[in-house]
Amino acid sequence: MELLITVTLFAFLIWMAVVIGRQRDLFSASMLTGIFSLICAGLFTVMDAVDVAFTEAAVGAGISTVLFLATLALTDERERRPEHTPLAAIGVVALTGAALVYGTLDMPAYGDPSAPVHTGVARHYMERSWDEIGLPNIVTGVLASYRGFDTFGELGVIFTAGIGVSLLLSAGTPELTPGAPPPPPKSRAPYVREMPILRTVSKALMPYILLFALYVQAHGDFGPGGGFQAGVIFTAALILYGLIWGPSAVEAFARRRLVERATAVGLLIYGGVGVTTLTLGHSFLDYSALSPEHPQHGQHWGIFVVELGVGITVSAVMLVIYYVFASRPKKDVSPMRQPLPLLGGACVGDVSTEDAEADS
Amino acid sequence: MNLVFGAAAMGLLVTMALAMFRATVGPSAYDRISALNAFGTKTVLLIAVLGFLSGRPEWLDLALVYGLCNFVGTLAVLRFSKYGSLAKDELASAEDEP
Repeated sequence: MELLITVTLFAFLIWMAVVIGRQRDLFSASMLTGIFSLICAGLFTVMDAVDVAFTEAAVGAGISTVLFLATLALTDERERRPEHTPLAAIGVVALTGAALVYGTLDMPAYGDPSAPVHTGVARHYMERSWDEIGLPNIVTGVLASYRGFDTFGELGVIFTAGIGVSLLLSAGTPELTPGAPPPPPKSRAPYVREMPILRTVSKALMPYILLFALYVQAHGDFGPGGGFQAGVIFTAALILYGLIWGPSAVEAFARRRLVERATAVGLLIYGGVGVTTLTLGHSFLDYSALSPEHPQHGQHWGIFVVELGVGITVSAVMLVIYYVFASRPKKDVSPMRQPLPLLGGACVGDVSTEDAEADS
Repeated sequence: MNLVFGAAAMGLLVTMALAMFRATVGPSAYDRISALNAFGTKTVLLIAVLGFLSGRPEWLDLALVYGLCNFVGTLAVLRFSKYGSLAKDELASAEDEP
């Protein structure tokens, strides 16, 4: 049964990849990538990689669609016809693909118990993690404790990516004066009038989504979840709010300058735990140092704080990227196009003031 | 019981294929939007069914996230299509046919 589902999902994946490759309308393509990512997540679930599927769910299905659309709002929606014939590229891709397939022939079969991944350190993790760390979710133990240094690096990459996107896209936009309050959300009224159902639903859902994010953050020790997923869910809630009430409403809640600083705070918390364990005489990120009598407790505390740092940085970086996209003025690619209230929110407001004047 | 869950999973895969067919042929962006939304719902259900099939109903957490993110994604798409690209649809679908 599982084999049948796996094969079907892989077939779906290839189908979608071909369709996306042939698609020239980027708006449709971004939706098709959403479907692609949903199929991926289904596959991860079938393969028991629930934590990965969780991340794919939060990032692939939600945030990346929003970011794709935000990019489309800044550029054009049509992919240009290539001026050269793609034959050479197809040849290179086919050759690389053939080489990769040839390489997989040497790899052990899926689920083979004698595969190197099962005989190396993984064996130690599976057998010893309950005694050494004592978390029901071994993935969290591996991610935050055994491989804590790797995860620290990953967080650094996310932080760097946030800075990179921020620097690249902020260039040319007017600098906000430090400490200045965000512009008054005068475009709220039309949003409210236009979408009463979405407005009500989003307001009612907001606390539950944020609570769910905190649950995922804190429950990562016991079930699928953790800082990465929680951070993305938290930001997804804020972006949902921004889509309905306009970005300025989100900025009134989470100031951009504060959020920009928070990207570094998470990383500092993570590194701070490492430095703390160093000063206590253990190795970097060896949480057992936090509670010498009960090493397991030390592990729990360390993992909790470290996951908190991950959650803060991931959430803040996502939000910064959203802000950067939202505040960037659209380049005049095609003069026919109207400004996009998906990100700006100004044009709906302008229309409605005209309406109001006409009414009065 | 597993047979029932298996049959449900098969049914879901078939509906997923139908949604993908709609997303593939289009022709308008709105067909693709509803296809994406339908596909997201099917994924939520498939994960829930898979969870029960493999005896781990705690995967429902995961299904919840999908429900949420699908909502956010669809909302973004709808806003974009309403204010960003309404005029381009006919143009797009006319040029798109291979």
